[in-house]
Amino acid sequence: MATAEASVADVRGHPVVRRASLIRVIEAVIGASIFLVLLQILLNFSLLDPEFWRRYGGSFETGIGTTLRFVGIILPLSAVLGFFLGWLRISRFRTLSWPVAVYVDFFRGIPPIVIVIYASIFGAALLQVRFAGKDLAWNVAALALAFHSAAYQSEIFRAGFQSVPRGQIEAAQALGMRPTQTMYNVVLPQALRLSLPPLGNEFAVVIKDTSLLAAIGTLDLFGVSQDFIQAVFLQPGASVYWLLTMWTAVALVYFAMTTAVTQVLLFLERKFHVRGLEGVSV
Amino acid sequence: MIRVEDVHKYFGTLHVLRGITLDVSKGEALVIIGPSGSGKSTLLRCINLLVEPDAGRVFIDGVHVNRHDINREWVRQQVGMVFQSFNLFTHLTALENVMLGPIRVKGVSREQAEDKAKQLLARVGLAAKANAYPAELSGGQQQRVAIARALAMDPKAMLFDEPTSALDPEYIREVLDVMTALAREGMTMIVVTHEMGFASNVARRIVFMDGGVILEEGHPQEIFEHPKQERTRAFVSKILR
Repeated sequence: MATAEASVADVRGHPVVRRASLIRVIEAVIGASIFLVLLQILLNFSLLDPEFWRRYGGSFETGIGTTLRFVGIILPLSAVLGFFLGWLRISRFRTLSWPVAVYVDFFRGIPPIVIVIYASIFGAALLQVRFAGKDLAWNVAALALAFHSAAYQSEIFRAGFQSVPRGQIEAAQALGMRPTQTMYNVVLPQALRLSLPPLGNEFAVVIKDTSLLAAIGTLDLFGVSQDFIQAVFLQPGASVYWLLTMWTAVALVYFAMTTAVTQVLLFLERKFHVRGLEGVSV
Repeated sequence: MIRVEDVHKYFGTLHVLRGITLDVSKGEALVIIGPSGSGKSTLLRCINLLVEPDAGRVFIDGVHVNRHDINREWVRQQVGMVFQSFNLFTHLTALENVMLGPIRVKGVSREQAEDKAKQLLARVGLAAKANAYPAELSGGQQQRVAIARALAMDPKAMLFDEPTSALDPEYIREVLDVMTALAREGMTMIVVTHEMGFASNVARRIVFMDGGVILEEGHPQEIFEHPKQERTRAFVSKILR
């Protein structure tokens, strides 16, 4: 009993938890910087080569802008869609849950790059705007990626919903709550809390998978970089080490984006933390 | 207060309740005993419509409640229920568990709900644990919070579904004490339990159920010491041992 109370008291000290996470961020930044410096010395390239940035800078900015736009479309859309699909999936009416099961199996079974290519060709054709320009094909392909991720996220939310014990739902009913009230007050807060860690995983995948859109020629970060590096060696004065400079810079941008999103989810996890339900630390 | 008339319930082909008729008057504490699978829990659930009876009628305070046009949420507000596995909302503190029903279902203000919840927690001896989460409480404490949560809705009657069966022996007493006090204050209650001491102290009437029917009913002394039915005798001798 005494030990149990001691561990509760530790967890109650929220400032301790927060300071620890700030220290972790600082440590990570320092660690990554040292790693990058060593990498540059070892492989003999510089991330700060002015001539390289003079030529690549414009593409880099365009690429980041386009990638952010894709992430901005895909992340919220897939999360909202995944949430409602996960909800439908646990319906006791098979007419609602069965189509979702088929949907999930469909998108889980096809490589996302194939989905992207399909969507850009047939998506645009189906909408009968074949000649309406690249932008539409790109957006349809981005939507298809969102549908793809929604399939995975629906499974995450389904697991979250199903983790709420049936007895608590009965207890809510016994208090006289309507189904919507039970959902909002009892099921959702607990389901979402448990969905957060796997959701962080999936969001990181979604951000990186936007690079697959380059397969249909989008000007996202991966696409512009591929185009640039092919073109630059046709120009005079190019250095072969720019390959390393560029791909390191690209990797850093994706890393920063995924880290930012996962940090937001970690913050939410801490916010919804329930004392007494901490996971095991070994 | 509660009247059950020839109630039947099927789960698929399983005939779980085979014509139960029962009358509980205002202020009475009725104890139901019987082997597992005899339909005790299902009977309780038919009263607050967590389970819909297939035939027969249920009345609460004179109102026929298992009609199709009834507001089930209203019915459930009339009778509180306490479960074997407590079923507290694990993401809410003890206080919030007790406040949730009044705020969301009855539309009581936060301040009022909080005052009342604090009073109720004090009444079940848990004023000091108001801000603890269920996972930080013992089984006995959780069950007392669950009782307070049900009482917060001001029910006309209380249903207890084996409230001490999931508890370690050292926590049973504290829960039974709360229930005994409740009965003494005149709460109408139906209790499914095998706690014979509690039954003898609190109930004037015990009902023995087996195979979906009421086999025998009577004063605790009669049932425990001079059961008329062979099956009652067999069951009682098992739980008294």
